[in-house]
Amino acid sequence: MTIGAVIAGYAALRTVPSLLPEKLELEALDRPKGFRRFIAGETSGSFDAFVGLDSPDSVDVAARKAAAIERVSADICGALYGDLDMSNARIPLASFSDYYCPFCRVQTKSFADMTSKMPDQVAIAWHELPLLGDSSNLAAKAALAAKRQGAYVAFQERLMTSPFQATPEYLARLSEDLGVDGEQLVADMESPEVARELENSAALAQVFAFVGTPALVIGRTVVQGQVSDRMIRKIIDLEREEGWDLACVSA
Amino acid sequence: MKGAVSQIWAGLLSIVLGCVIILAAAGADAAESESVSNPAVTARLISAENGIAPDAASVSLGLALEYGEGWKGYWRTPGEVGLAPEINWSGSTNLKSAELLWPAPERFEAFGIENFGYSGQVVLPIRARLEDAGQPLELRARVSLLTCSTVCVPHDFELSLALPQGVGIDTNSARQIATYADRVPAVPENSDIRISVTALDARDSALIVVATSDTPFDEVDVFPEFGPLVTFGKPDIRLDRDRTELWAQIPINAWTEEHAEPSVTIADTARAITAPITLTSDPPAPPFSSANPRTSLLKVVAVAAIAFLGGLILNVMPCVLPVLSIKLTSVLKATGQTRQMTRNGFLFSALGVLAFVWALAAVLLFLQWIGVSVGWGMQFQNPVFVTLMFMVITVFAANLFGAFEITLPAALQDRLGASNARAGYISDFGTGLLAAILATPCSAPFLGTAITFALAGTSLDVIVIFTALGLGLALPYLVIAARPELVTRLPRPGRWMLLVRILLGGLLLATAAWLLFVLVGVAGGRAAAFITSLTAVFIVAASIPQANQWVRRAVLSACVFLAIFGAGLTSTPDRTTPGVDATSHWQDFEPLGIARRVSEGETVFVDVTADWCLTCKANKSLVLDRDPVRARLRGGSVIAMQADWTRPDDNIARFLERYDRYGIPFNIVFGPGSPSGIALPEILTPQAVLDALDTASVRSLVSE
Repeated sequence: MTIGAVIAGYAALRTVPSLLPEKLELEALDRPKGFRRFIAGETSGSFDAFVGLDSPDSVDVAARKAAAIERVSADICGALYGDLDMSNARIPLASFSDYYCPFCRVQTKSFADMTSKMPDQVAIAWHELPLLGDSSNLAAKAALAAKRQGAYVAFQERLMTSPFQATPEYLARLSEDLGVDGEQLVADMESPEVARELENSAALAQVFAFVGTPALVIGRTVVQGQVSDRMIRKIIDLEREEGWDLACVSA
Repeated sequence: MKGAVSQIWAGLLSIVLGCVIILAAAGADAAESESVSNPAVTARLISAENGIAPDAASVSLGLALEYGEGWKGYWRTPGEVGLAPEINWSGSTNLKSAELLWPAPERFEAFGIENFGYSGQVVLPIRARLEDAGQPLELRARVSLLTCSTVCVPHDFELSLALPQGVGIDTNSARQIATYADRVPAVPENSDIRISVTALDARDSALIVVATSDTPFDEVDVFPEFGPLVTFGKPDIRLDRDRTELWAQIPINAWTEEHAEPSVTIADTARAITAPITLTSDPPAPPFSSANPRTSLLKVVAVAAIAFLGGLILNVMPCVLPVLSIKLTSVLKATGQTRQMTRNGFLFSALGVLAFVWALAAVLLFLQWIGVSVGWGMQFQNPVFVTLMFMVITVFAANLFGAFEITLPAALQDRLGASNARAGYISDFGTGLLAAILATPCSAPFLGTAITFALAGTSLDVIVIFTALGLGLALPYLVIAARPELVTRLPRPGRWMLLVRILLGGLLLATAAWLLFVLVGVAGGRAAAFITSLTAVFIVAASIPQANQWVRRAVLSACVFLAIFGAGLTSTPDRTTPGVDATSHWQDFEPLGIARRVSEGETVFVDVTADWCLTCKANKSLVLDRDPVRARLRGGSVIAMQADWTRPDDNIARFLERYDRYGIPFNIVFGPGSPSGIALPEILTPQAVLDALDTASVRSLVSE
């Protein structure tokens, strides 16, 4: 009897929490129009709109930021999903992450896994949102520069698993490892195109009022923080049912 | 009288009112900033002084942080990822310098990333110096800090606090600052913790720290700081018996030679020390067993129940089944036994089982006490033990095949008063003993948990749980002892008994063959051949009917004597045939490389096995060496490590101990998704292995 109870109790403890259904609650957003937000416990609290860690902006920087916000607001879906190929009824995902945010590492891997497992159902656009200081900025720029040489994913993979902070020396070694032209990489890192890409991602983060990373937009649903794969699949299904491009049409 | 009462009341009332007014005044004057608050963190700047006293050149400040439920912030060294809080004081007036002090951090582990920081409440004390002593201070602090729960939210806010000229202490703030200032690690001169060695273990890619303390360590942790380019995994911390000596091995995940001022922080429950260190390259060996937590009574009872069940299950494991055959034959042979005799016989067998588990518990406790690492089934690592077991089982098998009759020496029989029954009881006792001994290499399901728990607990835990285990193992004997008539249901002796004897003899021979195989692993082929020939001589000597009694006895004793000493002498020092060959997908076991490999995104499967572990063999042939698991382990996406524990190995024993295991089989999967490892059950299933590999590994990011 006792043994049975012990075993049953243990089994229940192990399995029950994962069996409890997660609730899929959505809340329409005022801005940007047509989008909605997944309500996930603690992350849906009242944070100030996204702030970032940079020091107070100079006039020049402020102007560039304002321009970026205007730019992405004019075509939100375009800015979010870029030139993703959405034929074959694929649902687009936009992932915003920072290489030095612990949960981003987990979440990014899980998205990458998901896209490789069901390539006919989802397509993913990666956005660099470096919020955590110099190393984050450096790593984000390096990944975007590597993208210009077709090595974004390889760089992303290595940076995500790197156990230490990115430094110029580390990036040089990394490009050598991955067969990327190091000089070109450094040049691209400081290029206006990379800067513009970062500005766009930051502007999108501001438009969607992200409080931090990781953040995700699935079709027209905004998800903040790390959520289970199961929930993401649920949202993907919902987007497919209801038509994710509603937001893009109305925008 | 009435007047006196009302006077007292009035007095009390005025005291209460007075207090309220004082409190209100203190509140109004409280030396703290307005607070910035959101679900992740509430932050305030506090000051111990209400005002700047004349001639005061410094002031004690604090950044009071209260993290929301589930949120955490970071230490000055955040770990692999994360960001330490920063304060920019520009815009303050009359501030010369402000030094942020860091209370000892907590260790957080999420998805394999080791982070150091704070949760709940913390005050970061700030030592501020004034430009002009005694003049008012205006503070403007621009605070940047990172908080993470399932999302990482950076915060960037400003706190301001003005301290006019004046005197007075904000007791509340002063107390808070003092509390956390106490938790700031002391400098070596002011602490009873001394770091004696910090060595780089290049071979194992780990940092070794040795420290001593006058007062015993309690909940201790070690945080090395080597700058942002060096990161470490989770430390393996060991304390000696009286907990005043500490040895820690911290795996290195990333390393560079450039680190300006390396330091090590040792944090104990109520004290901490940060000391600059000098690295040596001469790592001292691990001296102690690891510190184990104490356990509750309820848990002991629950685990005892599991041990009982585990013992019961052991009866049907391949190790014990042959012994039941010995017992069964003895029952079959004994015709015309009384009910009482049968009952006593089985009771003696049960006692034999218990005697062994108690003896084992005593030996284990003794070994633990003298500081030897112990494990379930480890006696099979001893060539002398395996030799004796092999001889006993082979002789029993020969007996079953009718080579000779086992009789106790005449002298012993005489001393027992010629009572056949009593001599029988001794052999019954021996049967139980043998069953229990042979049961040890079969770590059945449940049993691993129970033994592990017992060995990690107190002496009493060990005795209670081993007794429960023995009772479980002895239950079949106890059942027959309770209902001896069950035996009488067996058919009358006849030809069928001959068949049963041969069948059971076959089982024993198979066991003997397995023991020989173990012996080859433990002592080498030469020793095994030597022991086999000795055993053959023994059996031949025993089965020649005409032999002189004295000669026979001399030969038999010589065989046993030679076997015991020969096993040790002839055994080869190293395994000539290691379990891991060059062409296999199994690699050598390197426990300290695991953290580094995982941090590089690789998945590692560890199989701890031994020749004497039958369950390990079953796992190997039924699951690990069979598709789809074999294909997965060979596929290149997983590093498969095999740790062979056939012979004693400190590295393996320590590895098991770190995961609170004392017996094998032990299989565990590490990967980016499970850096602290997913331990698999003793009996593997392909699905369990594949699931664990899936959870642990993170598929390549390639193919968008």
